[in-house]
Amino acid sequence: MFTSLFKALTNLFKKPQTIDYPVTPIEKDKDYRGLIEYGEESCIYCMKCEKACPPGAILFVKTDTPSENEKNKKGLKYNYNPYLCIYCGECVRACPKPEEALWQSNKKPEVAVRGDNVNSDWFELEKLHKS
Amino acid sequence: MKKTINIPLGSQHISLLEPVRFKFECENEKIVGVDSDVGFVHRGVEKACTTRFKYDAVGYVVARVCGLCAITHSLSYTVAIEQLLDVEVSKKAKYLRVLLLELDRIHSHMLCLSHTCESAGFEAMFMRIMGDRELIMEIQELLTGNRIQFDYISIGGVNRDISLETAKKIVNSLDIVKQKVLGYIDEFTNNWSLSLKFKGIGALTLDEAYRFNAIGPLARASGLHIDVRNEIEYLPYKELGFKMQTHTDGDINARNIIRLNEILNSLEMCNNILAGVPEGEIVVKSKGKPSGESLVRFEAPRGELMYFVKGNATAMLDRVRIKTPTFSSIPAFSHIFMGENYADAPAILASFDPCLSCTAK
Amino acid sequence: MRKIKVALENIVDEIKDFYDYKLWHFLTINGVALEDNKLEVQWIFSKYEALDDVMVYYVECDYKDLIPSVVEIIPSAIISQREIIDMFGVKVEGSEKGLYLDEDSLQAPLSGCSI
Repeated sequence: MFTSLFKALTNLFKKPQTIDYPVTPIEKDKDYRGLIEYGEESCIYCMKCEKACPPGAILFVKTDTPSENEKNKKGLKYNYNPYLCIYCGECVRACPKPEEALWQSNKKPEVAVRGDNVNSDWFELEKLHKS
Repeated sequence: MKKTINIPLGSQHISLLEPVRFKFECENEKIVGVDSDVGFVHRGVEKACTTRFKYDAVGYVVARVCGLCAITHSLSYTVAIEQLLDVEVSKKAKYLRVLLLELDRIHSHMLCLSHTCESAGFEAMFMRIMGDRELIMEIQELLTGNRIQFDYISIGGVNRDISLETAKKIVNSLDIVKQKVLGYIDEFTNNWSLSLKFKGIGALTLDEAYRFNAIGPLARASGLHIDVRNEIEYLPYKELGFKMQTHTDGDINARNIIRLNEILNSLEMCNNILAGVPEGEIVVKSKGKPSGESLVRFEAPRGELMYFVKGNATAMLDRVRIKTPTFSSIPAFSHIFMGENYADAPAILASFDPCLSCTAK
Repeated sequence: MRKIKVALENIVDEIKDFYDYKLWHFLTINGVALEDNKLEVQWIFSKYEALDDVMVYYVECDYKDLIPSVVEIIPSAIISQREIIDMFGVKVEGSEKGLYLDEDSLQAPLSGCSI
């Protein structure tokens, strides 16, 4: 009985095992799998990442204002949907120039609200991509 | 006059983590009839695997069948495809695969133990085990970059290498977990109030385990020597020091003890792997399209997981059959409930460690 | 994996002769949609404590055929039988449908003819 009383008293003054989340941020390891980031200047527009992506979260769609990259002969634009992405890193492994054109960061995506039209904008892009 | 009343458990119930419905026919407090409904979360994964995704993406799809045994699902599928493509995986990749498989088993068993305690009304133990489980989750995050959906296994090997620093950190954490688990064993065997809830309740005899084809910790608690880790040659379990854990009582207590002993065995295997990770490539490139049939079995935390894959030399597969552990245990579950008190049903159910999102896939 | 082809009418007798409940572990019943509206139904067993010893009995049949039930020999086969009814829209002796699919969902999703 004394041991349990002693334990109860010490537990009262122990620090909690959890962290005070919104106030203290969670430290993410540098190898944490987060958002996929893209460097337009180094991209050679081989579209390997688009083919490799399991959920189809990377789309190259034709645009009126293409970049000045000379490899971009068809006038395409890279589109990425962080809310569809499963962060597996398959695109980075498929990329011929990883670390320069496509790499995985350890950042989390912003929380999207309804006003951002995340879904409807993406469905438009998917329609454009098919046509 | 009818002597029995029907009491449902589920599809939403305070002691359930996932949707399942049991209809119990009770005579006073005793359960005399059981009917179950498991199809609340059917998502059509098998259909999606053969119509929407190419064979190299299916590994990521099947990992989403279940959060807790994601690694076993993707491993089984990948091995089935590797057999069809004739890919020989390096020894290092195999060791890393076993490492993650065993870490997954440890955290899944800890989750089950904590929920069994919670269902028996022992909230403090639940908190303790869940708190300590974070150590394993952190290891998994260090290794793969994510806590639950590892996406670690790819066709031909694994996605990430292990560094010396990480290995050291993991060994340290595993030592702490081992001390904690020894503490649980003491608690589970000697705590008087837990013994009232667990000993002699929900028993399955050896003959019944054979008859109902029970698998996993449920069968091993009844003394049935079934463990796929003992029955496959593919992964080097023998040289890593795998020991089959069995018990003879078959009740909830026996299942808990089996799980605790398995955690200890898995910890030992993890340490053995980290002590001697062989040199070599982590990924081998694969060529061609899968054709033919292959059948692969692995031991998930809840029992045997089977994948049957049929390819037709195109990027789309013909058939992916997933036989999940809980699915084949349901006849045994229903049998165990017979003759028990209704009040014990939540604790018995938690001790099965059911995974309904696996079952309904 | 050893595969043995059996005629549909002999399957129950074959499994009865073969199945010893202390030697063989019953895994599941599996269906595979073949071409020309045919269906392959497999009964899969594995041996206790043997290395990679899996036995598959299979039949080829039409979707209209009545598949005999093995529940009297293997009680736990009941749930697998209900699954193939749901997934392929076949008839199995003495088993009913409705394990996964609701009335208003797509029926028999894995059968070759529904697509």
